[in-house]
Amino acid sequence: MFGNSPPLMAVDHVSFGVRKGEIFGLLGPNGAGKSTLIRILTTLMRPTSGTACVDSYDVGRDDERVRGIIGVCPQNSTLDIELTAYENLDFYGNLLNVDEHLLPDRIWELLKMVNLSDRAHMPVSTFSGGMRRKLEIVRAFLHYPLILFLDEPTIGLDPESRREVWQQVARLNTRNTTIILTTHYMDEAEKLCHRIAFMNQGRLVALDTPENLKKIIPTGELVEIGYGTLDPEVIPVIQAREGILGVEVHEPHLRISAKNGSRALPGILADLERYSVPVLSITIRAPSLEDVFIYLTGTGLEGA
Amino acid sequence: MTDDQSVDGLLRGAMAIFKRDFRKFLSNPFVIIMTLFMPIMYLIIFGNAMGGTITGIPLGVVQEDPYVEETALYLAGTEILSSYHQEDKPSLFLVTVFQDEHSAKNALDQRRINAYVVFPSDISPDREVRLYIDSSEYMIPTLVQSGVQGSLAILGAKNPLQVYNLYGTINYMQFFGVGVIVMAIFMATMMGGGIALIRDREMGIIEGYLVTPVKRSSIILGTIGSGTVRAFLAGFIIFLTDILITGVVMRSVESFVLVVLVLLLICVGITSLVVALSSRFSSQQEYASSVAFLNLLLFMTSGAFYPVLGMPYWLTWLTVINPEYYAIDALRSIILRGQGLEIIAIDVVAIAIFTVFAITLGIMTYRRTIE
Repeated sequence: MFGNSPPLMAVDHVSFGVRKGEIFGLLGPNGAGKSTLIRILTTLMRPTSGTACVDSYDVGRDDERVRGIIGVCPQNSTLDIELTAYENLDFYGNLLNVDEHLLPDRIWELLKMVNLSDRAHMPVSTFSGGMRRKLEIVRAFLHYPLILFLDEPTIGLDPESRREVWQQVARLNTRNTTIILTTHYMDEAEKLCHRIAFMNQGRLVALDTPENLKKIIPTGELVEIGYGTLDPEVIPVIQAREGILGVEVHEPHLRISAKNGSRALPGILADLERYSVPVLSITIRAPSLEDVFIYLTGTGLEGA
Repeated sequence: MTDDQSVDGLLRGAMAIFKRDFRKFLSNPFVIIMTLFMPIMYLIIFGNAMGGTITGIPLGVVQEDPYVEETALYLAGTEILSSYHQEDKPSLFLVTVFQDEHSAKNALDQRRINAYVVFPSDISPDREVRLYIDSSEYMIPTLVQSGVQGSLAILGAKNPLQVYNLYGTINYMQFFGVGVIVMAIFMATMMGGGIALIRDREMGIIEGYLVTPVKRSSIILGTIGSGTVRAFLAGFIIFLTDILITGVVMRSVESFVLVVLVLLLICVGITSLVVALSSRFSSQQEYASSVAFLNLLLFMTSGAFYPVLGMPYWLTWLTVINPEYYAIDALRSIILRGQGLEIIAIDVVAIAIFTVFAITLGIMTYRRTIE
């Protein structure tokens, strides 16, 4: 437990492992305990019970060693906006104990990587939100950390900037850095993460790859077919097909749950043809991570 | 829209803003108390520190050598000076009798007395009465001179009065200018440095340092170091202004070095104190109102405006524990009186005690915030 008053259990008996070199996502609504978990892992907060290891070092006992191998990009910007991009990186390079002779090259390399080299000597206050975010992410990467923590890396960014940040994260990951990120955007988790941990109200709800997580939902994929006139006799026929989980009529649509929608579709169409049901539209919808999350917790990602 | 509706709309918006502002005002009782408290304290402290009557000025009396016998003038003069007072006020002078001129001069140099009167020897009783005054204080030289003149007039003595201003003529700009050096240091550090520190903490910038391998002691050292240099620059600029504009004269390189050392010492101390204070306050508003109050208290009782002698007794206690008082006193000794380390030693020791205390406090509280 932590905090002043009232005491609050923010993260409760959470246990998991992160593999070397993966992008690991902590996904959950606001207040799920993601940031608290990150604060514990980055030595900013002591857990009241339990242990956490970063590489081979114990958080709480070997804090200084832990800090040497992690890079942290916090949720709220901590750039000094009065200083230039170069000065911001130079400052952190010194805090992070990067070799003084290598530091200038390193800064230019990173500025180039995020397309900011022509703005290196402009104050950060003139930068857009996306540029600031990218600068802050590479700032955490100055010392080639083994593990990079990104707390809500794309919060408040426009779609274009989000894509650029994602590319950046993926690029950093190719250099053998393990990345742990928190987000409450499911598309972000789905695009970026190799494995995702669902968190809700301080607890770990599920942990797997995005593909496997989606298989948790028993309703499978949803095939929605718009029809002209329906011959009700076709329904039991479709229902009898292999891999079909259920058929419902929602005038003027048929909603068919199937284990694999695209594979089941030709057979369904053949059945409809035989019963002379004209097909007007077809939609196949795979369950989103949000569907999975709602299925697991009964609440949406935007918070209950 | 009719006129009625537009008036309604105007009032509704105005009321909404009025209510919102008032709710926010009432939500912070600390700031309310400080804002109400401030003017009252202004009245009490400002009024007492500035408006007090100066009495009990330490004055030496001595009879000129060669000494044979106490002259009538000397005896009567000493008596009348001891009891000389304005209506309904305590004695103007606190008279000390010296055996010879040399020891009286020493006492004046060491600032145990503010002036001394030399009565003529019994060999030549008609010679002038000499008055030596420490002219570096505000108000006191004038009071001493008129007091001594008045006393001689009561005696009906025919002897002329010869006045010697020990440090030349010092105007109020020069007297006050030295105080402003210290004020600049306090203001720059408390207002500028402290608020910047709180803002950094609020924005999570300090927390950003904490996830890097940088040593906790490096953070403290760097923070206090940068604050000290900033404070020093603020004070030094006023010091140069004093030299260029008010016309104070630096008598030697030694004096200059001494000023710089005293400035540095007080800057480290005040910066550490601000680091400690800003670690304990959660909001900028609370910090700003408390510090404004502290600044008032320290500055008013520092003797920057007005001689400490004029303050009521209870207020002089604040002076005794006020580091600003010692800093101003030391700087006046060096800058206005050209005195050296042997005279300001007491001030320097007092400032050093404050600085050591402030550094300890600063490190302890700041360490607690960043851990």
